[in-house]
Parts: sequence; structure tokens; C-alpha cells
Amino acid sequence: MTALSAGDRLARRGGTHVVGDALAMARRNVLRLLRAPDQVMFTLISPIMFTLLFRYVFGGAIGGLHGLDYVTYLIPGIAVQTAIFSAGTTGFALADDIKKGFINRLRSLPMARSAVLTGRVTADSLNNLIQIVILVLVGVAVGFRPQSIPGLILGILLLLLFALSASFVFALVGMSVSSVEAVNAATFPVVFPLTFASSAFVPTQTMPSWLRGFADHQPVSVIINAVRSLVLGDISPSVREALFAGQSTVSLVLQSVAWTAGLILVFGALSVRKYRRLGS
Amino acid sequence: MSAALAVEADGLVKTFGKGDGQVRALDGVSLQVPMGTVLGLLGPNGAGKTTAVNILTTLLKPDAGRAEVVGVDVVKHPARVRNQIGLAGQFAAIDENLTGEENLALVGRLNHLARSDVRARTRSLLSDFGLSDAGGRLAKTYSGGMRRRLDLAAALVARPPVLFLDEPTTGLDPRSRVDLWKVIEDLVADGTSLLLTTQYLEEADRLADRISVVDHGRVIAEGTSAELKSKLGSTVVEARMADEDAAEQAIGALKSIGDHDPARDGVVVRLTASDGPAALSEVVRALDASGLVLAGLQVREPSLDDVFLSLTGHRAEDGQDEEIAAGADERRGGRRSG
Repeated sequence: MTALSAGDRLARRGGTHVVGDALAMARRNVLRLLRAPDQVMFTLISPIMFTLLFRYVFGGAIGGLHGLDYVTYLIPGIAVQTAIFSAGTTGFALADDIKKGFINRLRSLPMARSAVLTGRVTADSLNNLIQIVILVLVGVAVGFRPQSIPGLILGILLLLLFALSASFVFALVGMSVSSVEAVNAATFPVVFPLTFASSAFVPTQTMPSWLRGFADHQPVSVIINAVRSLVLGDISPSVREALFAGQSTVSLVLQSVAWTAGLILVFGALSVRKYRRLGS
Repeated sequence: MSAALAVEADGLVKTFGKGDGQVRALDGVSLQVPMGTVLGLLGPNGAGKTTAVNILTTLLKPDAGRAEVVGVDVVKHPARVRNQIGLAGQFAAIDENLTGEENLALVGRLNHLARSDVRARTRSLLSDFGLSDAGGRLAKTYSGGMRRRLDLAAALVARPPVLFLDEPTTGLDPRSRVDLWKVIEDLVADGTSLLLTTQYLEEADRLADRISVVDHGRVIAEGTSAELKSKLGSTVVEARMADEDAAEQAIGALKSIGDHDPARDGVVVRLTASDGPAALSEVVRALDASGLVLAGLQVREPSLDDVFLSLTGHRAEDGQDEEIAAGADERRGGRRSG
């Protein structure tokens, strides 16, 4: 049994393995994703339902759009909501790996400590990209007309960056709770108000002032407004005043990047710390 | 510290939880595995075996005590320790949505082996573990025995000199268990040092050079299988009486037979003896002379239960129930005083 022989040591490649190990883990996660395409579709069902619901059922009654087409207003909001829900996959997958003992195997290997998390969010970013592209296509089919294609592409990149930050938040949740179901239970009460008390579906002007104060300044609205402003391209000052409190696209994008970077730094650090201390 | 030790632990302590719910999983565990030998960590559920393995494999940090694997401190240099060890845990730590081959290749890559070595190791391990035909199938289609073999193969990809197996056969059917034992025996014959935890005396008996018996986070006995059994007596004689009164009387009648005083468990009186058959006829004669009627009588090999009963005075299987009962008592007490 030559394969079992312990005496004959194998050479290991030296150097740092931060990138190589992350890619190995990302590859594993993408392979899993490709084998369960139904999962990608499943997480897309609710945003597509929301698109149809708001486009055809509520859309006609929603005002305050200053002549904008509602579908074009709506899709950036749904896209950010999709990015958040899709980032939940990060938490589910980590909780599942922990529960099945797979993480313990990884932690006993001489691999880079960061690779479990970085490989996870890399694969999840790919998943997010697929979801956002499908959603945009569905949107176009029901009347979504981005006014600026470079704006749309920048908007998608901004969404991916935001989804990455959300992935780190869910990573921390996934490693902190005991089961996949608990990830769901823990995130819903946070995600729900953040996406609905926002500019995702309706302009915030009609909300009571206490709610509007929250809805205008919370990070989800900031991201939605930045993506929306990118997609709408040139709009009249009065529409910009009504929808974005007069803020320019550049200002909205910078605020979004600041929020996103902050979330990645804080929750990235907390997630890595949690990963190191798993089990104790 | 001697370089001839694969694993050495000294006074390991680990506590989980806070306040009233605190559990002292390890309460000063010391153990040694000389190079090229097998140490069996034998104990019931909740004895602290997995906690000990998790500390030695750098998954957990001890609260106190120290441990070295091939002379490297597990707390100070965990990364260097991980280069020397393989771990197969209590649950097959494989990815069900990857094929057997992909599972092994992933572990090979994360061990930073050369690509050609990863391919060669994957092929030869699949073949040695009887998984060549299943290598291209998703692991979720594997049987329990196949999963454990794949898990063990994953622990061996980098040819680690020190191997940790945490209850490798728990939950397996007898046939798969014997198959896995053979694989482990081959590994050890090739020079791998092994720390094995198990709930089965038979498993420790067959695979381990030395056995440490653990209970409630402490090592309560240590020695070769033969040494432990000679402490215990090599066979167990059980006399079943009609009722508990008769069983009490039987203890008195059987005092002079066997290696230790007989013990009663309900209506069953149990004693250990080096010569079972001889003890059997003595038991029959002694009970007959006292006018006690037997309801049943048997001779058998000692089990983990017997080892525990003789070492600790409680049964192995009761370990957890006792803790739960003690916890419930504390809670009741707490309410009374509150």
C-alpha cells in the first residue's frame, strides 16, 4: 500500500497562499453553485415576483415620479433588494459548512486562514452578478429602459460591491447562529425594514417625516439612489431635487462607496475574528 | 521533551460556557503518543475526547496546560502543527456536492502540494480505499461507509506523520467497521502515529498499543489493553436473580469468588474473574449452598461498560444522563433558594 506510506514526505509549495487558497475555495463554491442552478433560480423567484407585482399591480397607483416611468424607477430598488437577499447565501453556506463539520477539516489544514471567507465571498459575488443580470433582463422585458448604458454598468459594479459588503454581514451572522434556519430568522427582521423603509419601491416624500428621516439616510436607500441616479443619467434639476434631495450622481456614488467600504472593513474584520474563534 | 513523541499533552483544561451552565470538558488531561504507535482514547459520550482532539489539532485553544505535536507547541505554532497532522472527525467532513475525486484534490491543493502530486495522491488513495469506481460520483450518493473512507483518505492526502481519528467507526455497520479497521492497521504498519478516540473497547483493543480511559474530562486509567483487562479480570460473570433482595443476598454469597467484590445492578449481580468457566461453576455451587435460585446466568468478555463500572463505579452510558440529572437538580435547587 504505497499510497498509505507515511515515511515518504511530499514536497509542499512554499510562499504565501492567500490568493491561491482563496481561488481553490472559490472554485469549490462555484462548482457547488453550478451543480445546483435551481438554487440560483429559487433566490430569483421573489425579486421577479416583486418586479411583476409592483410593475403591474401597485405601479399604476404610485405617484410623485415627476414624469419618470415607474419600471425604470423600480428596477434599481429591486436590484439592491436582490443583492441583499442573495448575499444571504454567504451566511447559509457558512452555517451549513460549520454544521456538517467541513469547516473543521479546513481549519486543520495548513491553508491561509482568510481563504474560507475570501473564497466564499468571491464565489457569492459571481452568483450575485448572475442574479443581477437576469433581473435586469427581466426588467427590460417589462419596460425597464436605462437612460445611460455606462451608468447601468457602473451601477451593476456598485451593486456587486454592495453585495460583497452584505456578504460579510451575513458571513458573521452565519458563523454566529446555530443553523441555516436561524440565519433566515435572524436576518429577515433586519432586511425587511431596511428594504421597505427605503426609496426602493416608492419615493420617500409621502412618508411621515420621522420615517422619511430614516428612509432617506439609511445605507440601502443611499445605494439605491446612487444606482438609480447612474441609470437615469441626465435628469432635470427638479426631478433630482425630488428624488435625491438635489444630490449629484458623484455625491451619491461616493456616499455609497463610503458605506460599502465601511461595512466591508468592520464586518470583514469581525468575520475573520469570528472564524478564528469558532468552537471556543 | 523527547523527540520520540508524536503527541504529548500535559494538564489540558478546557471549559465551555459561563456561570451555571459551565461545563469543564477537560479537567487536566495528560497523554503521550510515542512515534509510530497508537494511543486509544476510550470513553463514553461527553467524556471530553473530541475536545482533546480539537485542541491537539489546533481547532481549539486550551484554557490551561500545554500540548506538542512532533515537538511543536500547538498554541504557539499552530500553522507548523497543521503541516504535520491529518484529522478525520466524528462526522465525515467531506463536501457532499463535490465528487470523491474533487474532495481529495481540494484538500491536496489546500495542502499546497504540487499539481502532479495532487493527481497522483488522489488516484492512489481512491484506489486504496476502494473508491476508484465512485471517484467521479458526487459524495452525497455515497453510503455511510464510503463517506468515512473518503473522509479518512482526505486526512491522508499530504501523508501526515501524525493522524487523529475521532470516533472513526461510530455509526457504521459492523462490516464497514471491520473494513475501516483494516485500513487503519495498514496505515499504522507503515509508520503513522495515531491518536484514536472511541467508545468501543473492542476497537481500542484491536487498534491501540496503549489505551487512556477518559471520563468527565480526566484520564482515569492508562495502560495496554492487557494491563487494563487484568485489572478488571478477563471475563465477566452475570447472575440474574429473582428480585433485588435475592440479589443483595447473592452478593454476600459470592464474595469469595472472582477478582473483586461482586457488584449489583438491579437484579443482576456481576463479578469479574480471570477464569470465567471455573468461576461459573463456583457461582452455581455457592448460590445453591445459600438456597438462592438463579433466574439467569452468563459469561462474557468485558465491555467498556464493565471497565467503567469497575474504574468509576458508574456505567459508561450513564455519564451524560447523570450530568443532565445533576443540572436539573441544580435548577430545581436554584428555584427553591430563589
